[in-house]
Amino acid sequence: MLSKLWILAYRDLGRNRRRTILSIVAVALGLGLLILMNGYIAGVMDESVQNNIRLNTGHLQIRADSYTEGELSLAWPDLLRDPEVLAAHAATLPGVRGAAPVLWAGGVIATPNDSLGIQITGIDPTSTIYDPIREALVGGVFLSADDRTGIMIGRRLAEELGLAVGSDVSLTVVDSDGNADEGVFTVRGLFHTGIPSYDQGSVLMPLAKAQAFARTERRASAIMIMLHDNQALVSVSAALRSPDLQLLSWQDMNRLFLETMQTGLAFYYILDGIVMLIVAVIIANTLLMSVFERIREMGILSALGMKGRHLTQMLLLEAACMGLVGIALGLVLGLGGVAYLTYVGITIGDIASVAGDSIALGSTIHGRFVPETFAGLSIATFIFVLLAALYPAWYAARLEPVVALRG
Amino acid sequence: MDAIQINQVTKTYRVGATETHALDHINLTIGEGEFTALVGPSGSGKTTLLQIIGCLDKPDQGTVLIKGQEVTRLSANQRADLRRTSIGFVFQFFALVPVLTAYENVELPLLLSGMKTSERRARVLELLNAVGLEDRAHHRPDQLSGGQQQRVAIARALGPRPVLVLADEPTANLDTANGHQAMEIMQRLNQETGTAFVYATHDPRVIAFARRVVKMEDGKIIDNL
Ligand SMILES: Nc1ncnc2c1ncn2[C@@H]1O[C@H](COP(=O)(O)OP(=O)(O)O)[C@@H](O)[C@H]1O
Ligand SMILES: [Mg+2]
Repeated sequence: MLSKLWILAYRDLGRNRRRTILSIVAVALGLGLLILMNGYIAGVMDESVQNNIRLNTGHLQIRADSYTEGELSLAWPDLLRDPEVLAAHAATLPGVRGAAPVLWAGGVIATPNDSLGIQITGIDPTSTIYDPIREALVGGVFLSADDRTGIMIGRRLAEELGLAVGSDVSLTVVDSDGNADEGVFTVRGLFHTGIPSYDQGSVLMPLAKAQAFARTERRASAIMIMLHDNQALVSVSAALRSPDLQLLSWQDMNRLFLETMQTGLAFYYILDGIVMLIVAVIIANTLLMSVFERIREMGILSALGMKGRHLTQMLLLEAACMGLVGIALGLVLGLGGVAYLTYVGITIGDIASVAGDSIALGSTIHGRFVPETFAGLSIATFIFVLLAALYPAWYAARLEPVVALRG
Repeated sequence: MDAIQINQVTKTYRVGATETHALDHINLTIGEGEFTALVGPSGSGKTTLLQIIGCLDKPDQGTVLIKGQEVTRLSANQRADLRRTSIGFVFQFFALVPVLTAYENVELPLLLSGMKTSERRARVLELLNAVGLEDRAHHRPDQLSGGQQQRVAIARALGPRPVLVLADEPTANLDTANGHQAMEIMQRLNQETGTAFVYATHDPRVIAFARRVVKMEDGKIIDNL
């Protein structure tokens, strides 16, 4: 019986070919769009987090218990007293790629014409954890540890202030005693990470010089630790745990960012829903029109003894056919699009700078394959298509044979 | 036992304030194997009566017995089952399923009855043969003439070996020659299979095929030979 319903459903779809194709295209485009959108978002989220880890937070940080994120405190109790020892210990742990002390201070960079608020970061130029910056060097040279007057800034900041390699600038920092200290520095190198907030707001100098400048002696704000991969996070954390220190994982440090992203995603979930709804309406419309066109035919079928439930099955089969073909095409379209995003990416240039300081977006955005999400979207699309068929199917099932035969 | 027994069947249509007594206390008995013409002017109630006999519609009052079974209180599904097993339909418009071939159209009610594949195939070929269309088995309705389509419909109606075939003006859309051929086929199949036929018409040449003529006017049976 079902086999004949299949034939009926299949042939009915062929009858108004253009309408059937349009419906299939609607499903395909809808799902394709959903997959592309979700692959894109996953890519953006992932990339932002990875960038943030690479350039800002590392996988793990050790800080003094009283240090609070965002305050950039230079007060001695808020700093780590023996950062070199801690960093050296951390570097010996299995799974650790690199560990280095870092000192952060809020400051102002000034030229004769202009001044801007920036974050001064004292780094250990020899540490491998700064490889990403080393790779991002676009002019001049990388800092050396014993450089007492050199700094590196983002090309973006340099352009904004009209600076070049070799230019002198004045930096001001409020030191650990609360006094403003000023010094003149020379731009040694320019980097371009592609992350606007970083390229625009960071001034890097050797740790020793930063410590002297901010009068922290050998103290540091944190030990930044990069792992080979995320698996080691738990074991490394456990090995480093100590009562007067806080250990922050990249999840902790990106929590606000991840939460903001999740909230932003709510909008996309609504968008997902709207796309599915549009697809459902198109399918419902197609089936309803084909039911209206075939009312007399359904009268004939019911005169032959076909029951309402068979007519329902027939229409659901038609919907399922269109849905499955559309989903297959949509997967091809969507996965193709995501593949393009993943392997080629789209260059968004400076647009990302409007995204604000906390979102570390590169200037090229990549997609990501999230098979579970794509499968879920396909299933959801299929369910929506079937739900859309319910009304036409119900309508067909409750047609009175006499009414139907009158056409 | 009679194929059909109808007692005091009434059907009234209301459209706005006007009431039409399409069937007005009809009593009628159709014996097994009869070949009966239902005759009357347009609007006399022929179609309404055939639909009620065929379990496509329910009367307002009265009873309908098919092979002794009262059918007016059956559910929609039970009536569908009864149509499938006991009643064949031939309509004025050639009511074939357009997406199915002649073969598949004849096969459809057999499929609904769950007949086995081999048996079904033999039965479809036998029926197409009986209406002279074995060479048109794989044509779609739009590739068949009106006369051929109506013969496929006759074959389809007889597939499940029903008690009764109801034909509502089966020749109205056919030319004289094709109408004549369709009537001859129905008459022959009536004699060969013993299936009762009731057909509505107002064409005297078609009435001439009947062994029994029931005349209707204004929803009443006025002559019952
Ligand atoms: N669905 C309907 N609604 C209203 N009136 C109807 C309907 N069907 C039939 N009638 C009326 O019932 C009467 C009998 O119709 P019908 O059975 O079709 O007659 P016949 O088939 O003999 O031409 C006619 O007056 C017709 O207008
Ligand atoms: Mg009529």
